[in-house]
Amino acid sequence: MGEIVGGVGVPHTPHFPGIVDRGEPLAGELRRLYGTVARHLTGLDPDVIIFFTCDHYNIFFIESLPIFSIGVAPSAGGPSDYRELQAYEIPIASGLARHIQAHAVRSGFDVGMSQEFEFDHPVTVPLHFLTPTMQIPIVPVFIGGLMPPLPPAWRCHGLGAVIAEAVTQLPDGMRVAGIASGSFSLEIGGPLISPHSHTGVPDLKWADRVLALMGAGQVDVLVTEANEERLSRAGNAAGELLTWIALLGMLGASSPVFLEAQRDFGHAYGAWQAGLPRPATSQELPAGRRLP
Amino acid sequence: MSIYAVNKICYRVVHEPGLRRALAEAPEEALRAAQPPLSGDELRALLAGDVGTLSKLGANNFLLHQLGRFKLLGLDLPSYAERIRAAYRNG
Repeated sequence: MGEIVGGVGVPHTPHFPGIVDRGEPLAGELRRLYGTVARHLTGLDPDVIIFFTCDHYNIFFIESLPIFSIGVAPSAGGPSDYRELQAYEIPIASGLARHIQAHAVRSGFDVGMSQEFEFDHPVTVPLHFLTPTMQIPIVPVFIGGLMPPLPPAWRCHGLGAVIAEAVTQLPDGMRVAGIASGSFSLEIGGPLISPHSHTGVPDLKWADRVLALMGAGQVDVLVTEANEERLSRAGNAAGELLTWIALLGMLGASSPVFLEAQRDFGHAYGAWQAGLPRPATSQELPAGRRLP
Repeated sequence: MSIYAVNKICYRVVHEPGLRRALAEAPEEALRAAQPPLSGDELRALLAGDVGTLSKLGANNFLLHQLGRFKLLGLDLPSYAERIRAAYRNG
């Protein structure tokens, strides 16, 4: 059977590739954080990556807004929303994507099937840093985390678990990793923006709480607390956390092997290895602490 | 028509360079051609770059900020942000 080998979570700020390319002051930190996560992902040696993302009103807006959908095209280009960024054609494990979509529907998850689309920056920016040669095919899993009503966190966690079930039906030896893409607290263009920008981190306390719960492996508590009302107070893009929760559902309960926040941005970088047990105690890590 | 017409304009701005050019050159003509049609209040607010009013009418803020990002209707990102802040400053 196939094997879930681990996963990573990262942000997808569209300005980060340019900051790194231009060597701006933040570039070193970005190289270190994305680099650490990229090394972990490379070490997992995956044959395919399940990519959990939230469409930013680019794929789904006019015709329909699915709560969940899986992309089954042979490949897709992008980013559709930031043409100034490096363009990529990203291979999709289409057969596996169809298998997962069918298994999810038969398991009670009403997951749509997207057959023709362009990726937007929440997919291309992480891959730009993590797998820039695009050598590993992905299965894109779209979660409606931006436009209310948001799916419940427990449902996203359950979808991840169902995807893990589908992976166990794969041929022996296939190694499957996951990527989650998004922030914990982020407002874009709305009333919760900062005094100095069109974006903001309106609920740093929540972002710290998310980090602490993830660090302690308390996924069940995180799923309980990450309700729609809580996420809405953390900003109109805070539902991106649901991608991380789906990833954690796919991985099963475990603590990260790496977790570090960029608190100014309300997001973090994390890495998990499948099969590690939950910590014996539920003591929470201080926010921002890097795990060994 | 619901605020959907405003949201759709903002969505199209991201994906249609031709619409961006039209909004820069002849904004009223471009907006009057929108389908579904904008209401009078929506049209006036868009032409004035009054994103605070549009936000309070229920426009999607993530989509709305694209007007500032692409420097349309007299906006850029700093002025967009200031108008949103001003609209909500007093609740």
